[in-house]
Amino acid sequence: MTAHSIPVLSEKRKKLQSRRRLRQNIPLLLMLLPVLAFYIIFKYLPMGGLVIAFKDYNFADGIFGSPWVGMKNFSLLFTGTNTLGIIRNTFVLSLLRLICGFPAPVILAILLNEVQRNWYRRSLQTVMYMPHFFSWVIMGGIISTIFAQDGVINQLIQMFGGEAVAFMYKPSSWIAIFIGSDIWKGMGYGSIIYLAALTGVDPALYESAVLDGANKWKQVWHITLPSIRSTILTMFILATGNIMDVGFDQVFVLQNGAVNEVADVISTYVYRTGLQGAQFSRATAMGLFDSLVGFILVVVTNRIAKSFGENLW
Amino acid sequence: MKSTRGEKIFYFVNHLFLGLVSLTCLLPLLYIIATSLSSSSAVMSGKVYLWPVQFTLESYDLIFRGTPILRGLLNSLTLTLVGVLLSMVFTILAAYPLSKDYLYARKAFTMLMVFTMLFGGGLIPSYLVVKSLGLINSYWSLWLPGLVSTYNMIVLRTFFTNIPRELEEAARMDGCGELRLIVQIFLPLSLPCIATLSLFYAVSYWNMFRNVLIYINSTAKYNLAVMVNNMIQNQTLLDPNFMQAEDISQVTPQGIQTAGVIVMVLPIILVYPFLQKYFVKGVMIGSVKG
Repeated sequence: MTAHSIPVLSEKRKKLQSRRRLRQNIPLLLMLLPVLAFYIIFKYLPMGGLVIAFKDYNFADGIFGSPWVGMKNFSLLFTGTNTLGIIRNTFVLSLLRLICGFPAPVILAILLNEVQRNWYRRSLQTVMYMPHFFSWVIMGGIISTIFAQDGVINQLIQMFGGEAVAFMYKPSSWIAIFIGSDIWKGMGYGSIIYLAALTGVDPALYESAVLDGANKWKQVWHITLPSIRSTILTMFILATGNIMDVGFDQVFVLQNGAVNEVADVISTYVYRTGLQGAQFSRATAMGLFDSLVGFILVVVTNRIAKSFGENLW
Repeated sequence: MKSTRGEKIFYFVNHLFLGLVSLTCLLPLLYIIATSLSSSSAVMSGKVYLWPVQFTLESYDLIFRGTPILRGLLNSLTLTLVGVLLSMVFTILAAYPLSKDYLYARKAFTMLMVFTMLFGGGLIPSYLVVKSLGLINSYWSLWLPGLVSTYNMIVLRTFFTNIPRELEEAARMDGCGELRLIVQIFLPLSLPCIATLSLFYAVSYWNMFRNVLIYINSTAKYNLAVMVNNMIQNQTLLDPNFMQAEDISQVTPQGIQTAGVIVMVLPIILVYPFLQKYFVKGVMIGSVKG
């Protein structure tokens, strides 16, 4: 850094540098151009399209020509018993999913980390990661086959003298299957990130803990969990952001008329009223409510996490 | 270190528990395979558990001859192969410039893209955009709206950023242009990352379901996911003209459904062992804050 000692030269150099930077930037910006076009057309244009939530959209007048109706669509959503039920279902299912599903991969990772034999651990992982790659259509097929009235579970129940249960048609068992299948599908794959974090824990910590007479439980509580705290928090923030995001596919493949009362959620509602019922404005209002709640939740949890000294961005 | 009695018990219980958990991942699949390979009478009398009873390929014969599943398979392959290619090209086009610290407005561009992970227009406005572009019922409606996954892009950008600068500078000295730099230096060096992201994209294209329901109207263009789902929901998709009386008597809905499920999972299971090491790596790269 001798340049600043000679001001004239430094001036010239700066100019040269900025010209060089411009030259270097041209190909980069050209590359970015199609990508930006994608983001603008398929991400930001739809955000602009959200205005139809405040309009009474019809095809003839288009997005701009359709008449404004203010908050009418929203007040319809928040007064209709049907739509309120759908919002409630979305919250209940996702809260249950968060409470039951979030700890599962953490626990699994800690347990897997304790498996000493490499081959055994690797085969466990191979099998447990697999369901993540199956689509919900497949899961739906598997679940409805297994839990069917004449499926293998009911056969086993009857073999032991019980009565067959219509698992998919009773709200309580449907919810259990819904949450359970979600955990089952994502647990193994979700544990990867915690396992990665666990490899960074210093083994010396455990050794000294053992010398101090700490048992396994105490080691987990005082060493393992604090060491992966930041990973857990980060994942938790991400999970809360998805809280409204009860996946369409999962509900769609598992849903049936008998359990609609607890199973109908925002994403299926938007699909049904918006695309099948052509009530675009009302469906968009619901969608906007959905995205806004998700957005606020991420921002708020991130703010809270910040006060713990962790944050996402 | 010698383990104590308590530790021994812990390890034993832990091994057992994890073994059981992984069995719950394996058994349902085995049951489906067994059902698809068993005779209809064995399935109906509930004799099938984890092993085919009265082994037969009847169900597969039926779905390949009597349903359009073969076309669905080809459609899914087209959708996936072209989709992965397009997505990867665009992801690289985004990640490469953003990995350079001398890019103008780098932060602004990144924010512009990351914001879409947090907030979006949602289903209906996206549908209206796709519709107004005249893409309905064409595969472009499946490829374009999800062309770049911002998450994948950030992962690749992080990977590019970690490639030593000296390499790039040396190549530039030798008169290497931007495109050659990408193709001959950056891509070969980030092959594991490219493989992982391709796998992520491939899985999402292969499993694509909702968008096909929304954007594709003609049944001839349905992919496997929609077709198999229809088989499951409507019990069968058998073409009545196609079936002869003797065939019909052999058909159980379970046979058709499970065979359909297997046709759809088989490709995933086949490539899965080869890709496992890549996706584990990919998740770990992704865990580095972007």
